[in-house]
Amino acid sequence: MEWPTARLEVLNEEPLVVKNPKTWYHIHSYGGWGRFFKGLRQKIIMATRCTNPTCGEKRLWLPPRSECPDCWHPMEWFEAPQVGTIFTHSVVTYPGELFKLPPGTPLISVEIEGVCTKLMSWLKEGQPLFGMKVKAVFNTEKPTNTILDLAWVPA
Amino acid sequence: MIKFGKGNLRIPKWERPVYIVAGGLTDFRKKYPEKNSCQLVTEALRMAVEENQLKVDPEQIRRMVNWCVYSQFADHFGDQLLAAAKVHDYLGFDPLGNIEVKTGGATGGSSVLAAAQAIASGYASLVPVVGWERMDEVSTKVGNSYIASAACKDFESELGWMYAAYYALMAKRYQYENNVPHESLAKIAVKNHLYAHYSPFSQNPGKYTIDDILKNEVVSDPLTFLECCVMSVGAAVLFLADEETAHQLTDQPILLKAICGGSHTLRTADRRNMPILLLPNETEATYHHFLEGRRHEWPGFSSFLAARMAAYLAYHMAGIQDPVKDFDILETHDAFTISDIQTYEDIGLRPYGRGREFIDSGEAYYEGKLPTNLSGGLIGTMHAVGATGIFQIVELLWQLQGKYDQFHGDPKMWTRYGKTKPADWKSLQVKKARRACAISHAGTGSHVTCAILEKP
Ligand SMILES: [Zn+2]
Repeated sequence: MEWPTARLEVLNEEPLVVKNPKTWYHIHSYGGWGRFFKGLRQKIIMATRCTNPTCGEKRLWLPPRSECPDCWHPMEWFEAPQVGTIFTHSVVTYPGELFKLPPGTPLISVEIEGVCTKLMSWLKEGQPLFGMKVKAVFNTEKPTNTILDLAWVPA
Repeated sequence: MIKFGKGNLRIPKWERPVYIVAGGLTDFRKKYPEKNSCQLVTEALRMAVEENQLKVDPEQIRRMVNWCVYSQFADHFGDQLLAAAKVHDYLGFDPLGNIEVKTGGATGGSSVLAAAQAIASGYASLVPVVGWERMDEVSTKVGNSYIASAACKDFESELGWMYAAYYALMAKRYQYENNVPHESLAKIAVKNHLYAHYSPFSQNPGKYTIDDILKNEVVSDPLTFLECCVMSVGAAVLFLADEETAHQLTDQPILLKAICGGSHTLRTADRRNMPILLLPNETEATYHHFLEGRRHEWPGFSSFLAARMAAYLAYHMAGIQDPVKDFDILETHDAFTISDIQTYEDIGLRPYGRGREFIDSGEAYYEGKLPTNLSGGLIGTMHAVGATGIFQIVELLWQLQGKYDQFHGDPKMWTRYGKTKPADWKSLQVKKARRACAISHAGTGSHVTCAILEKP
């Protein structure tokens, strides 16, 4: 048998430090939430609502959940409004590795009428302000197939 | 959950008292290639058994241990799954049973909770809690991405791959709701970098002015680098014991009166409004103004329900009436200046909306009413995540035992880590400290524990 040809690069001798490369990928299923991501391709925001008549939470969930956390019943899909207001915002100057948008992208949380949550997203145009009205825009040209395919612009 | 049933708010109780007998640390560094993780935990463990004036020799202590708890946040960082098995093996505790605990940034606190449960139930009589993190195998940028893997990977991680950004969103909203000047936030950073200056264990000490903090480079607005925790390599160890074992081991055992946990949704996005859960020092009247007026929603993005829940349970368990009066010293999880102000409110140091008064009034400083993060905290001293919650309690243990100077003031402690004791070093020993509190915190408030220590 031959010695292996792949070798770890030595970065330092004392103490001995080597470089251990990682090059594989994960195969990730969105499972029951796939309908939300597929909806973005059709320029719709799909949310879920609990239809258990005895459940107290009648509002939409966004991000969607397949089951209701308040009563554990399956939820149903509904289209969410495509307008909202900015609840909070921050411009991220030093994002972490894997961030697909340029540094300086404003991150926002959006309040949408009839939705019990405040969706985290990003502002594609303009500068964010508290209470600013925004409308949804969708990346249908070359979708990333991530949450980044939904963004907002001033309404 | 936004509606509590009786069972949800049941106050936990120990079947028998739980004591803390010894603690040990390594120093904390951005990079620590000189020592692997097994060496770091052994170093912290040796400090615990050799330098805490125990009455039993280390080999005998090994014979007394009957259960071990390991605390490491992310297998990603160390690139070693089942790292606890390796550490347990290298510490020579096989074939004793052990568990590894993982609750993000609160892993240390949760590990102490798990060890306390073992002692309190009678399952064990002497338990080492061993925490560490090795965050130097990847670049800071990748490290931030790893940490952001602890946000929701489907709906939130992609938005920044950066926890500072998620906290910045909360900071902006908090400032908007409460008119908090950035200067108040910056004071926390100034304080904790300064206290780190007196600690031989610290990674990021510094004598800064408020202006230095404000003019520092912004990570995600409004937070600057100096307002964010460090990323560290290092380890921390605590020994918990039942009463009989505690007295066998030391003349200065400290009671762990309570340690309780709370949680909230992983995504800040999913936090729905609910009525404020009141602490013993609050009444409906405390919030008349907030509930009727501008503070129309709680916890929103500005408060940590998990911290409030943990404090609610721990205060009732330990009989705390008013935290500022009843505690003599406090360690918070100051991952960011903003989260510290939020926590002041969650744990009842000030009513919601008025957290800044705790720092602005001077109460949070050494010789103030409730000195906070004299250890230097996460901003100044360390955030080797799995070790953090344990480190906080080690520092409090030494404070309550009157050993701050032994571990921080001895010039040999500084030379041990290749440092020189600063000429302007001063003791941060809190005189007559009797009761202490530590808050361990994960995510954007997904898990929080509240520990209460008391000198018997
Ligand atoms: Zn339901």
